[in-house]
Amino acid sequence: MAYSKELIDHYENPRNVGAMDDASGDVGTGLVGAPACGDVMKLQIKVSPEGIIEDAKFKTFGCGSAIASSSLVTEWVKGKTLDEAGAIKNTDIAEELALPPVKIHCSVLAEDAIKAAIQDYKSKSGAKDDNQDAAE
Amino acid sequence: MNDANTLKSCWSCKGPMPAEELFCPTCGAVQGPLPVNHFRRLGIAVSFDLDVPALDRLYFDLQRRLHPDRFATRAPKEKALSQQQATALNDAYETLKDPLKRADYMVHILGVEVLPEGCTLVKDQKILIEAMEMREKLAAADTMEQLNVIQRETKAEIQDVLSALSLAFQGHDIPGACELTTRLKYLDKMMGEVRHARARMLA
Repeated sequence: MAYSKELIDHYENPRNVGAMDDASGDVGTGLVGAPACGDVMKLQIKVSPEGIIEDAKFKTFGCGSAIASSSLVTEWVKGKTLDEAGAIKNTDIAEELALPPVKIHCSVLAEDAIKAAIQDYKSKSGAKDDNQDAAE
Repeated sequence: MNDANTLKSCWSCKGPMPAEELFCPTCGAVQGPLPVNHFRRLGIAVSFDLDVPALDRLYFDLQRRLHPDRFATRAPKEKALSQQQATALNDAYETLKDPLKRADYMVHILGVEVLPEGCTLVKDQKILIEAMEMREKLAAADTMEQLNVIQRETKAEIQDVLSALSLAFQGHDIPGACELTTRLKYLDKMMGEVRHARARMLA
């Protein structure tokens, strides 16, 4: 199977590998997995008070396509608003990396991961806002 | 599913015969595979606790009787049916002899009503956290001793999950069996990765 230049580049030089402090209020964490292939993917975002994604990190144990998909997403979401990041579709990822049909599920996993990270951030900051409202 | 004493007519001699017989008692023609589950195909009850040597014997016995080589001189239709029978039999055996595939298959066939969404999603974050932690530990291991320890721990954990699966199936706890099967998939993957890591270290 021939893989695209973009995919191989993200696999061999993954961007933004690492972790951020999950306990921090401005960090959202998405942890997702595809048990059928034993893949597990963690994607984290750090969000500014203005709602802009300042930083993103990932750690993926899985095939090259899963690593490349999550690496690409961390690159894409930096500088985006939560809504913009939440609008990323797995088809955009699959197209950019020219994923073969049997690897499309890896891009689905990356979309699920960024959505879960956004959700996690929102539920954390939402809880905080509620407290502030209550204090006012 | 066909009852054991249901009759059908043989495709070859048209005579009546028990639906689950592999060969027509009248003319001896091989019959096509029935749409039955893997357990029934091998003539055993649905259970996670299989006697694997007994399963092997059942399989080899059926395989001997149905092997396409035995039908080399028979009519094309018999050759084709024996091929279909052999394929269905191999599928059943390959699935049932492996505990992970057996568990996955049982969750699938027993979960039709209780788990309509199937068992492909991970609902419990704990499973993913555990999977992430074990893979991080493996990535950090850089001596053969560390790999040996990880391998022993993973094997022990697989044994624990298999015992728990047995209890879950005995108690008809299909959602529980689904979760355990998901854990087993990650542990199975982990064992494969440990083997790769050992091979890399020896290279």
